Amino acid sequence: MNPLLMSLLLIVGLGLFGRTMYHKILLLTALEPADRAGHIKERLKNMVILAIGQKRLVGRKKEWASGIMHALIFWGFCILLIRSLNLYGEGFIKGYQLPFFGDDYMLGYLYIALKDIMECIVLLMVIYAIFRRAVLKPERLHNTWEAYFVLAMIGVLMISDLLHDGARYNLIMLHNNPEQLHFFNNPRYGSEFLWTPVSVGAAALISGVSADASGNIMVSMFWLHIMTQLTFLNFLPLGKHFHVITSLPNVFFKNLGYPHEKPRLLDLEDESAWENESLGIKHIHQLNWKQGLDLYTCTECGRCKEVCPAYTTDKPLNLHDFNDKLKFELFDNADNIIKRAKLSATKKENGNTDLTDKIKAEKAELNSKKQLIGDVIAEETLWACTTCRACEEVCPVTIEHVPRIIAMRQGQTTMAEAYPKELNKALKGLERNGNPWGIGYDKRADWADGSGVKIMVDDADVEYLLWVGCAGSFDDRTKKVSTSLVKILQKADISFAILGVEEKCTGDFARRVGNEMLYQMMAKENIEILNNYKVKKIITACPHCFNTLKHEYPQMGGNYKVIHHTELIDQLVKTGKITLNKSLEGSLTYHDPCYLGRYNSVYDQPRSILQSISKDGLKELGRHGRESFCCGAGGGRMWMEETIGKRINLERAEEIVGRKIANVAVGCPFCLTMLEDGMKELNKEEEIKTQDIAELVAKNMA
Amino acid sequence: MKILTTVKKVVDVELNIHLKDGVIVEDGLQYVINAWDESAVEASVRLKENKGAETTLVSIGGGDNSDMIRRCYAMGIEKGIHIDDPALAKADSSIFAKVLQKVYEKGNYDLVITGKQAQDTDSGQTGIILAEYLGLPCVSNVIAIEVMDDKHIKVSRSGDDGTEIVELELPAVITVDVSINEPRLPQMRGIMMAKKKAIDVMDLAALGTSPDDVGCATPKSGIVEFMASKMRKAGKKFEGDAAEITAQVVNLLANEAKVL
Ligand code: SF4
Ligand code: SF4
Repeated sequence: MNPLLMSLLLIVGLGLFGRTMYHKILLLTALEPADRAGHIKERLKNMVILAIGQKRLVGRKKEWASGIMHALIFWGFCILLIRSLNLYGEGFIKGYQLPFFGDDYMLGYLYIALKDIMECIVLLMVIYAIFRRAVLKPERLHNTWEAYFVLAMIGVLMISDLLHDGARYNLIMLHNNPEQLHFFNNPRYGSEFLWTPVSVGAAALISGVSADASGNIMVSMFWLHIMTQLTFLNFLPLGKHFHVITSLPNVFFKNLGYPHEKPRLLDLEDESAWENESLGIKHIHQLNWKQGLDLYTCTECGRCKEVCPAYTTDKPLNLHDFNDKLKFELFDNADNIIKRAKLSATKKENGNTDLTDKIKAEKAELNSKKQLIGDVIAEETLWACTTCRACEEVCPVTIEHVPRIIAMRQGQTTMAEAYPKELNKALKGLERNGNPWGIGYDKRADWADGSGVKIMVDDADVEYLLWVGCAGSFDDRTKKVSTSLVKILQKADISFAILGVEEKCTGDFARRVGNEMLYQMMAKENIEILNNYKVKKIITACPHCFNTLKHEYPQMGGNYKVIHHTELIDQLVKTGKITLNKSLEGSLTYHDPCYLGRYNSVYDQPRSILQSISKDGLKELGRHGRESFCCGAGGGRMWMEETIGKRINLERAEEIVGRKIANVAVGCPFCLTMLEDGMKELNKEEEIKTQDIAELVAKNMA
Repeated sequence: MKILTTVKKVVDVELNIHLKDGVIVEDGLQYVINAWDESAVEASVRLKENKGAETTLVSIGGGDNSDMIRRCYAMGIEKGIHIDDPALAKADSSIFAKVLQKVYEKGNYDLVITGKQAQDTDSGQTGIILAEYLGLPCVSNVIAIEVMDDKHIKVSRSGDDGTEIVELELPAVITVDVSINEPRLPQMRGIMMAKKKAIDVMDLAALGTSPDDVGCATPKSGIVEFMASKMRKAGKKFEGDAAEITAQVVNLLANEAKVL
């Protein structure tokens, strides 16, 4: 059409875009390393399902309408990419056809038909999106001019292309093609316009104008389209729409094998780490590149906060705000972060101590002037999280919030010694007696007196170790769960023993509140004892112990096959080792513990057990399975007062009461305590019985 | 301001204590810092942080106390002295106070802070006797300290009829209650630094005294035997309206307890 103009637009548009992208990528490379290499097949699979397939958008029943809307716009964009290339060609060469997409090929025809219909669909979806934002106003959305501007640009892109094709149709069909315009007209497949009904429809709208005017419309729409597209491209990296570019890589590099990156095993004796204040995240430059990419990618869709137990009960933790604040802090410090990374590289090459001191001083200068916790992220925000992972499970672009929160807590606890001091009692209990209640360690096995349970020190020749956990050992209510579980294991003739007074807290809660020192102390002592007894298989009724033993102890040389009691009971039922009676009266529901469900994908086994004992079957709560609602105790919150907003356990208890349920089954000692407390507060503890699955099974087995 | 803080290692009272032939069974026991002394340490460290005080702790007896002293270093104490001498095995409060007097006299301190009592013997005397020996003013059961100037402090003590506010001229001895503060939990950085610090361990001779001098031969009190306290029986809960409950109680008092 006009090679000169086209070249100019492309050079400026792509040049600017390239420059922005170069800086954004440079910034990522200046951040800390993250190991996301290898496993290409699995990564591609994730990308196809989650990013291209838009699984978390179309797959959520609650949000199917907006999910489908977004997916259609996204798929439309993917399809229209080819069209864009063709248009660039057209800018240089009249009638340009992309290889294989020309009128010699069926593919070319199929493509124009698809493009035609997709443009129409995308346009409709844009209208719906604007309507939704402006009229329906879903609570999770945070309405900004940016969102409307981008929607408007997409609308312009669709309309301009349709009008361009419409005007072309009119010139060719109504005005005898005065400019000898090319159009698909292969005798085998017929005329192009038989395949593009939407463009023909657009043509009808402007059929009243003269040939000249049609020509002008066609040309102006062409350039409008190209210019809008290049503006759009350059606008993306500036705001939340960067996700259009970064979502695919972000999902591709998502953590594998565990729902998010595991907490780093900090080397607490590493002098240089102390010097650099790099135990945990204390400064913005200590994010790793994947965490940086996460920040680039947040779409501000608000799904995370909508499911977040802290946000929904009025705690000052709004995740998309959290992301935004970190992102701007990252951008504000971009140049310094890049300079610092260069300095670190020179430091490695140089052994000269004078120079090293100089570099150290220079690096200190480059630190952000803002305190990451305090100025950028408020302390109450950081400590409000229960680490329930609900946010991560719904995030369409797989952003990993929790590891970042834990690393920041590590920075606060380990480096800054600024953590909620109310935790001290529980932490001191851990330090002295290996349990957060601080009860004498010598009473740890008292619950098992007279139950016939073997202790490892007397007889270690058993198949399973039963890991009782602190709650199961010391909390009066949870001791009943331990006793019930023992009954089941004895009934099924399982060979097992407990560690007794040699068991200590796994350290889960210490780690979640950033006290890596106490976590490692607990883990080290436990692993020594477990390995000493050559333990291979562990059963536990606590999902927090389960998760830590299974996924975190291997970092310190503890490798065991760990099984949650609900998984084991389910196996015992299936293999006929125990027989369940359908004798439980009254409606029954199940509350999924976060560390069993979202962290470890154990959803079906508890349900299958419960269905086998309940006369009335199992009634699901509104929020269940992957989107279950936390009880409020995880992430060390069990040991902190909940003074802001509504209490999370109360919110959950109310949800249960609202479902008119008689029995609530849980699979976690903390959920048990929290829900029972919630029921007590609502004066419902007599009407609605909260029990662990082990208790229900012990009462309803043959 | 130079502060001397006294610290005692006691058996962890969270544990069940078993006796055999009137002696405590050591097996399975663990020893920790006396809770009141931990508060004394915290109070000293806060005076260091806020008022630039110099902090020294002293601990007497108890075998290897290095873990406990290092933990206090990690909390922020600068210097640690451990007086360890086999002659002190059966020492009582007055002997401890005598030893502390010697330590005090070597160090030119302005303020001695002790826990008001120890979790093991609960006698609550050492600090007070020490003040007597030294001829210094003493306030016990302190729940707040305020530094007025180089020579004066103002303390609040929890008395029988409420809080008493007392101004003291230094040097002085105060014994603190646990409610004075919430002791900090040592963190990694402090623990790492504490590992490298020395502890001044000495026997009575090194302190410039002798067992006779501090009265080891003539203790004023001693432990004869340990006895387990009787477990209290669980209480009884009565249910029903007032008349029913009264009837039940009267019945039990008459027939079971036979006191009516
Ligand atoms: S973190 Fe994920 S779910 Fe939350 S606003 Fe960003 S993109 Fe949406
Ligand atoms: S992990 Fe749970 S509590 Fe923490 S931010 Fe995510 S949803 Fe909120």
